[in-house]
Amino acid sequence: MTPGHTPAEPVAQAQPVGPARPVVGTQPVVRARDVTMTYGDLEVLHGVDLDIHRGEIFALLGPNGAGKTTTVEILEGFRRRSAGEVSVLGADPERGDDAWRGRIGLVLQSWRDHRRWRVAELLTHFAAYYPDPRDPAELLALVGLTEQAGRQVERLSGGQRRRLDVALGIVGRPELLFLDEPTTGFDPEARHEFHVLVERLAREEGVTVLLTTHDLMEAERLADRIAMLVGGRIRACGTPTELARQAAARAEVRWTADDGTPRRERAADPSRLVWELHRDANGPIAGLEVRRPTLEDTYLHMLHRETDGTDGTHGTDGTDGTDGTDGTARAA
Amino acid sequence: MTNAWRAGLQRGRIELRHLLRSPKEMSGHLTNVVVALVIAAYVTGHVPGTHVPMAHLLLAGFAAYLLFQIGLVNLPQILVTEREEGTLLRLRATPGGIPAYLVAKTLLVVAVAVGTLALLLAVAALLADGPLPHGPGGWLTLLWVTTLGLLAVVPLGAAIGAVLPNPREALALIMLPTMGLLFTSGTVFPITSLPVPVQQVASVFPLKWMAQGLRSALLPDTARTAEAAGSWELPMVALVLSAWAVLGFLLAVPLLRRAARRESGSRLSARHRRAAQSGALPG
Ligand SMILES: Nc1ncnc2c1ncn2[C@@H]1O[C@H](COP(=O)(O)OP(=O)(O)OP(=O)(O)O)[C@@H](O)[C@H]1O
Ligand SMILES: [Mg+2]
Repeated sequence: MTPGHTPAEPVAQAQPVGPARPVVGTQPVVRARDVTMTYGDLEVLHGVDLDIHRGEIFALLGPNGAGKTTTVEILEGFRRRSAGEVSVLGADPERGDDAWRGRIGLVLQSWRDHRRWRVAELLTHFAAYYPDPRDPAELLALVGLTEQAGRQVERLSGGQRRRLDVALGIVGRPELLFLDEPTTGFDPEARHEFHVLVERLAREEGVTVLLTTHDLMEAERLADRIAMLVGGRIRACGTPTELARQAAARAEVRWTADDGTPRRERAADPSRLVWELHRDANGPIAGLEVRRPTLEDTYLHMLHRETDGTDGTHGTDGTDGTDGTDGTARAA
Repeated sequence: MTNAWRAGLQRGRIELRHLLRSPKEMSGHLTNVVVALVIAAYVTGHVPGTHVPMAHLLLAGFAAYLLFQIGLVNLPQILVTEREEGTLLRLRATPGGIPAYLVAKTLLVVAVAVGTLALLLAVAALLADGPLPHGPGGWLTLLWVTTLGLLAVVPLGAAIGAVLPNPREALALIMLPTMGLLFTSGTVFPITSLPVPVQQVASVFPLKWMAQGLRSALLPDTARTAEAAGSWELPMVALVLSAWAVLGFLLAVPLLRRAARRESGSRLSARHRRAAQSGALPG
């Protein structure tokens, strides 16, 4: 440990449930309490709690098979939960009628329907189901498929097909949009454009977005709040910064020591460490660099804590004192 | 609801256009017609005890079989494929999507049935003096037997399409019994030439009655002496076909509802994964 540096920075109590920033006076758009889901003998969700507020972009992360799709499908009304309470746009999804459906848009993880249809034909057709649809031509421009308007759906590339799925998901001007791994197969430019589109929908039109992804950069870039679904429970939920705090993931401080060796240390409070270094050196510090924990650091940290089972089970976090690996990195 | 109707009709028209432009599917339907015409052209002789050419009996039988096949082979295949690809799921996620889907499919099935039937009878009449209804009564019989025949097989086909596992297995499961009925229902040769137990089994199923009804519409009245009962038994035709229609609806409504309810993204992904592993689907 750094001389004079106290590692006893208060570690946030992990908040496995609930919103980090409750929006006062508004009913959450999505509210789930103690939702469980069992497939035969396999219990996939053991009590999921979620609150998603209007206009928020909310990302659901978790390893393969964690139950993300299952959770999203329960909220979409496609799957009957085994137990628990769910309200989506003020209704129980299991009893959602057509009017309710019309307020929801979705992009599923995998579909290959309507192969023979032409792109514009399909979008125009699906516009016909909604009372106030978007203009299909504008929508095609928005997702960058204008050139492919006359092409058969089965002739689209994977990424183009996915963009068409996104266009179909928002053609009815939904208030709530579910996106299950929407950017799988996107090239970097398409991904960027997709991010701009989702942000625009949320910021300008107040659309609430629930997104699942394996792309942590994407979650960090887009999401106001992130929830981590591990082992059938929401293990952490909050803004990326709050998550880092909950995970006790620490920032990395790098500098070059007087003898020219590179040094590296992880600190829960990097500002304090830097101040101490300055004080010790009594002057500028060569090669000083502070890297805040990326979402990837946080994610992996939390995941390991879960799977090791040594710490943090049921979301009650211990202190980071049990984790001896971080402080020893100093002499790297 | 009006939205769903409009969307359904639009959908039906678009699907029909796709069908007409799909060489593979069109050749499937046309092959049936051509096979019927070719066989009819080679058949000689008369229906025993009458002056009716055997070819006419065969064409009337094939006409019934075409309807039967559209309802019980083509429709289930379309349903199973569209379940697997996610079409049904997408419509489920769309307000009014499922009613629109049903409207579109009805439109499609009726159009294909009427189209192939008309083509078969028109070409046969033009090229080979084929059978046509005699007088308004004959046309009326043709109309109601066709309608009731479709009502007997289409809901049943929808029910089958709602439960069958996947398009590849589905075809094998449906084709065998269908072919069996083709040869035992008196469609391609006089039913009286078959052993009585076979006749009895076949008379449980709608194909025999559809064929008999169409014969009564298309063949001269004298041909009824070749029927098992010595008459057309039209009340019985109506009764059996109605019974199948009722049974079909009773099965189709809950089974389709269940199929739509069970569709979800993760089932779709699981199926695609399996299909990709077996190399059956690209990507
Ligand atoms: N219909 C089903 N029947 C039985 N088990 C299922 C079914 N659907 C999902 N599962 C199982 O439930 C678990 C969660 O699946 P789910 O698809 O929700 O995970 P996911 O978090 O979306 O994973 P991925 O990141 O791979 O998309 C998995 O173990 C899966 O095998
Ligand atoms: Mg998933």
